[in-house]
Order: sequence, then C-alpha cells, then structure tokens
Amino acid sequence: MNPVKRFFDSQRRHFENGGRWARYFFLYENLESVFFAPATVTAASPHVRDSLDVKRFMFLVIVALLPHYAFGAYNVGYQSHLASGLPLEIGAVFLSGLGVVLPMVAVTYAVGYFWEALFASVRKHEISEGLFVTCALFPLTLPPTQPLWQVALGISFGVVIGKEIFGGTGRNFLNPALTGRAFLYFAYPAQTSGDAVWTVLLAGRTASVDAFTGATPLAIAQATEAAAIPQAWSDAGYSFGTLFLGLYPDSIGASATLLCIIGALFLITVGVADYRIICGDILGFMVTGTLLNLIASPSTSPYLALNPFYHLLVGGAAFGIAYMTTDPVSAPAMPNARWIYGFLIGMLTVLIRVFNPAFPEGIGIAILFMNCFAPLLDEIQIRIRLKKRMPNVR
Amino acid sequence: MHIVHLKKGYDLRLAGRPDGALEELPRPKQVAAVAERLRFVKPRLAVKVGDRVKVGSLLFSDKRRPELQFRSPGGGTVCAVNFGPRRRLQEIRIELDAEEPYEEFERISGAELESTDRRRLVELIIGGGLWPLIRELPFRDTARPEIVPPALYVNLDNLEPFHPLPEVYLRDRRERMAFGLQALKRIAGAPAVVTVCRPRSADSEWVNGLASQGISGNYPAHDPGVLLYRTKTSLDQQHAWFIDGQDVLLIAELLQTGRYPTERMVSLGGPAAADSRHLRTRIGAPLAALTQGRIAGGEVRRVVGGVLTGSAASPESFLGLFEKSLVLLPEGRRSGTFLGWTLPGAETPSYSRTFLSAFRRPAEHPMDCNRHGGLRACIQCNFCPQVCPVDILPQLAYKAILAGEVEEALDHGLLDCVECGLCAFVCPSKIDLLQALREARAKFYDELA
Repeated sequence: MNPVKRFFDSQRRHFENGGRWARYFFLYENLESVFFAPATVTAASPHVRDSLDVKRFMFLVIVALLPHYAFGAYNVGYQSHLASGLPLEIGAVFLSGLGVVLPMVAVTYAVGYFWEALFASVRKHEISEGLFVTCALFPLTLPPTQPLWQVALGISFGVVIGKEIFGGTGRNFLNPALTGRAFLYFAYPAQTSGDAVWTVLLAGRTASVDAFTGATPLAIAQATEAAAIPQAWSDAGYSFGTLFLGLYPDSIGASATLLCIIGALFLITVGVADYRIICGDILGFMVTGTLLNLIASPSTSPYLALNPFYHLLVGGAAFGIAYMTTDPVSAPAMPNARWIYGFLIGMLTVLIRVFNPAFPEGIGIAILFMNCFAPLLDEIQIRIRLKKRMPNVR
Repeated sequence: MHIVHLKKGYDLRLAGRPDGALEELPRPKQVAAVAERLRFVKPRLAVKVGDRVKVGSLLFSDKRRPELQFRSPGGGTVCAVNFGPRRRLQEIRIELDAEEPYEEFERISGAELESTDRRRLVELIIGGGLWPLIRELPFRDTARPEIVPPALYVNLDNLEPFHPLPEVYLRDRRERMAFGLQALKRIAGAPAVVTVCRPRSADSEWVNGLASQGISGNYPAHDPGVLLYRTKTSLDQQHAWFIDGQDVLLIAELLQTGRYPTERMVSLGGPAAADSRHLRTRIGAPLAALTQGRIAGGEVRRVVGGVLTGSAASPESFLGLFEKSLVLLPEGRRSGTFLGWTLPGAETPSYSRTFLSAFRRPAEHPMDCNRHGGLRACIQCNFCPQVCPVDILPQLAYKAILAGEVEEALDHGLLDCVECGLCAFVCPSKIDLLQALREARAKFYDELA
C-alpha cells in the first residue's frame, strides 16, 4: 500500500467523530483529497460523471506556469549577477535566483493557504483549488526585491478582499492575484515601481552600484527622446531577441514572452483558456497601436509611433494575456462578450501606457478595470441571445 | 427523408453496449407494478394483499385524474403491497398463477380502425391502462386526452446508454407497429412523426422505412424535446405528445388482441455486466431475474431508464411500466490513485480536453458511479452551454433558480430543457444541475396546475 495512503488511514480516526481533532475534519479531508480523489459517489442521476474536476482544471494552469518559475529563477539570478559583476555560470545564477524566488513562493502559499483554510473552516466547505493558481500567479508578477512581509500582505489582500469576501473561488469578480498586485502597487510604490526594484543586488558584488542603471524597457520607452523606441532599447542592450526571451530586469517570471506563447497554446489546447479572450486581447493591442501610429507625428511622444508588436513584447503584456485575462471566473462567460472583453483590455493597456506615464505597464490596471465590466458585457449578450429564443410561456 | 442533425450533445461511449442478440427469459414467479419511479403520478390503491387479480385488472389509479389507471402486468394473487418513505406506494407484487387469467377488453381490427371514432379509441386505450405511455411535452406528464396534440412523436431509437435497438424489438413485429401507428394517427389527427437515428448499417436499412423523420448526432438527438426545439415555429406547438417506439407495440397489442400486453424487450448492459444483451421478458419482471448470473462482481448499482436520467433501483425491485433499460454500473466507492489529478489520463473518460484521452479517443470507457471530485462553486468553464442540446445556458438558468427568479429561468428556456443530464455530467464543479432544473420544472408545473 502507498505509504501516504497508510499515513492518512492511520491518522483518520483522530479527525472523525469523537476524535481529538474532530472539528478539523475538513482540514484532514482537504489534505487527503490533494493526494487521493475522494470516494464520494453520485447520489442521483446522472449516475456517471465526467472525470474532470476543478482540481485538475486549475492544476493545468499551474503546469503552464512551471516553466515561468524555472525561467524566473534563472533570470532573477542572471540579472543580479550581471548587475553585481559576478560570474554568469548557469548553475550559480540559477541558485542565486532560487534563493530569491523560493522564499517569496513559500510565503505566498503559506499565507494564502492560511486565509483560504480560515474561510473554509468558518464556511464549512472544502478548500477550492483556485487558491493554488492565485498563489502561483502572484509571485511571478512581483519585482524580485519585494520584501517578504509585503508579499504576505499582498497575497492576503488578494485572497481576502479579491476573493473570499465575495464567497470564494467562482464568486469573485476580480482576479485575486492581480488584486493583490495592484494593492502592493498603490500601497508601496517605492518597492514596486521605479528602476531599482527589478534587480537584486547581491552582497560581494564587484561592480559599483552607480554603474548599474537597471532601467526597464518600459522606463526607457517613457523617457526616451530618440525618434524610435526600438532604437533606444537596442542602445540599452535590449534587442528584439532579449525582449522576446525576457532576459531583462522585470518582475520574476512575467517577462518571458516565448514561454507565455507556449503556455497560452497549451491552455487553449486543453480547453482551459478561451482563445477568444486571447485573440481579442491581441487584436485590441494591434488595432489601438496601429491607430496611434497613424496619428503620431514628430511633435508627439515617440510612444505613439511604436510598432504595436512591441507593446505585446514588454511590460508583462504577454503574461497578462495568457494567464490573467483568461481566468474564466473574472472574465465574461459569453463567447462574444469574451471577444469584446479581450479587445478592450488590449485597447486600454496601450492607451494607459502611451498617455498615462503613472502606469507604465498598464495591463494589470486594464484587466482589473475590465473585470468590473465583465458582468455588463455578459448581460448585454445574454439579453440579445434570449431575445432570439422562442418564448415558452405566454 | 429530411434529417435533423444535433451538433451539440455528447456520446458517452460507455463500455458494455448490448449487441443485437436477443435472449428469451423464463417466466418469473412474481411480477410487480412499480409506482415508486413514476413521475407526477399520485397513486390511489385499488387492491389489497390476498386479492385475486387477472392480467389487466386495475391495481391503482392516479388521484389527479381517476380515469387514468394502472393495470396488473400479471394474473394471480397480490402477495405484497409495499410502501416507501411517507407511505408513498412503492410496488404491488403479484404471485403468478400457473395459468394466468386475462381481463378481456374490446378488440379492434385494422379495417375497423378507420371508422372508429377518435374518442372511442382514446377511451379504449385509457380503459386498457396504457394511456400513461403517451406523454406530453414540455413537462413529460401523461398526455391530456381531451386535447388534440399539435404533433405526436414516436422515437424508435433511444441513444441514452443503453436502450433496446429497434432492429431487435421491431423484428417480426412490423405489422403490429403499422397497426399501432395507424391507431396513433387516428388519436393525434395526423400521422405520427416517427424518428429514427441515422446512419444505420446496411442490414438494418428496413428500420428507416418505418420512419418519417431522420435524426443524427450525439445523445440526446433522439429526444422528442430536442426535435421539437429544432422544428417548432410557434408557441402552440410546445404541447406535442410523444411515445416510445416499443410502447406503440403495446397499444397495438391491446387493441388487436383485447388483452393487456405483458411482453417487454429490455437491454441489459454496462461496465459491470458480465454479459450485455437484449432480453425478452415481461413488464414488472424482477430485476434479479434479469441480472441472474450476469453481474461481473463487486458493488454494483442497478440503473433503470438510462445512466444519465434514470434511477437507481434496489436489487429486489422490479421493472416498471416505462423501463426498457437496465445498466449495471460499478459503484466506484473507492478513493482515487495517488495524485491521480496529475496523471496524463490516456484512458480517462472526459468531455473536456484536459486528459490525454481527448487526443486518442478510446472506443469505449468503463465508467463507474464515482463523482470524480468535490463540490465547488461554478467557475464558468462554459462546458454546460457547449453541451446543452437545446441551447440553454444551464449555469445561468441554475443560478436564476437558486436566486428564486423563476421568470428569469423561464426566459433562459427552462421549459425547453429535455432533462438529458449532460450539463450535470460535464460539470467539473460537480453541481447537480439536472436535479435543480428538474425540480424547478416540476415546481413550475405544480403551480400551473
């Protein structure tokens, strides 16, 4: 027999009626259900049920995110070694990165699980797996220098205010991971924005701190006086390839456009993410960017003239498109509403980036904003759809 | 033949499909009239233990309409009248005599059929206790004999796993079927719309000849409610009647022979059936007689009336008047494999594409009654609207029902719902959508009455 099974079977009596910890049975049950699907059988028709449950549905998102963690650990280490003047061996780089990323992930999961378990115990329901996706997404959006106590605070806000007070996963209207991220952005701007936060400077560095600028592509795009932003980027060392692979100072795992494309294709293939949202997003970016190109002139900001493809490349746009906009709970449910939702997110992101220097990345705010409008978009399409339906009651 | 194709819906590919073989079962010692699985009917008992009954004697009637009667599927002595919770009539068991006496009803020949008054014909079927076999959409209660229906559907096929094939139950009975359809034409005032599922194999082409409407696609393409939804042009058509193909034979037999019919072809199958086949037995036969020596072992659930919409029956139960399907499903009361949700699932049955099985499409799946997951809130995965055969948004209709907004649920098409159960089947949050929609429909029906 499986040793884990044996352990659960031996501990079960403590949690069952009359046991020492009978009131914590839900915790036992939740933990057991992580390892072994429950033996519950159907009570009425349909007597057979599909094998898919929410656990697997959510798990597939985490699978798509795992490469981002591997990349994130490498990139964090790479950038900090680069800035600190340390050797760029892959093993050493990866280890330093892991030293930064792992504690953040551990804190996120510990604090997130605490809140979810607390609400689950009060409400007497099982722990919903949406939490694990939220906790997987959240650290990837943070700068690697974020203090751990702020990480804890951010995930607490995301889980409690973004989700639990509305009733938990499935009843929230905002993306909980982004809610937590936005909270940190507004509450602790010094630790979440600017040029300095995206690179961890290590002890024992050989390069002087002054030599390190660490400007992100978005900051360069905002500040450049040059006629063309791509030129300014490549002057700063950010070639197209670098931007595409994501090897520049940015939040932990969100810069890897290549991985985002792979992840999005994977999620579409398994049917967890809706291609309509993703295509809508991209369309929104492209159309808005092109329109801005048309009105761009030498007297306007060079940002207006930026090829819209570059908008998709930087500032976590691909990450937001692949993993944040496709959250089925906070997105609209109706197919056409999803196209519009995606399109408006793309449009808003570009507009925010170009016209509002206060929010250089733009997409997080755009998604949260459109989350609020998702029910309205749904309502419109549902009304149109129900009008076409032949009524059954006089 | 015009063919209506259903793009949505889903084929379960459940293992244990019965083939065309037919086995004759010996005459049982006991039969029973089952009342516990009759929907809507409020039984009023007409016999007591020890009474002598003939085949076709009155056993109970419907309190709501006393003229609607349920008659004895066997002749002999009433040996038990069992009641379920809240003293609801469960079943009336009859110990069969060696020579069963028959109640004699009026006979009608094919030639007389054309000249018989419609009302007279309806009275004969009501008097013979077979009127409840004709049901009325959208609620699927017994048809109201006083109205002339906008249409009468006869579905020869039933795609829900597993129902008898028309090739089997119509073999050697085509003349009787023609007689039955002629009688139904008199009752409905127009030829019945006989549906058959396409395509069929070459050696069963003859079944197509009986049909006037072809249907194709996944379960529940056969359902008269689906056909009505796809073809109706006005509100007046929604009270169409329907009857199962095999039940037409019963009505024909009653009218032709003047005796209450007892023969029933049942399909027995499912993953826990050692031997899947069609059985020729009789209405009210004990389930134990059907499953004798055919259960593969382990804890098995006996589902009558299809795995998606039917009911679980106890091993001591009997075959009800409407029931033509017995599926044996492993109960599946065991916890999953270690970290099962992380496995690729090359053989795992699923409507979604989240398992490897979606890309290799195994021919059939050995399913069980395990729920495969815990209850969660709706996560808007959109599987239920994708599978719904009548374009309802089940998740939103369900939320409207939960909020007590019946009007909104009706706007969503609650009355179009054919209660196929696919929404609940595909739901990853394991929400009991079918039960919620069924209850809401029944409640609305009660309020109308």
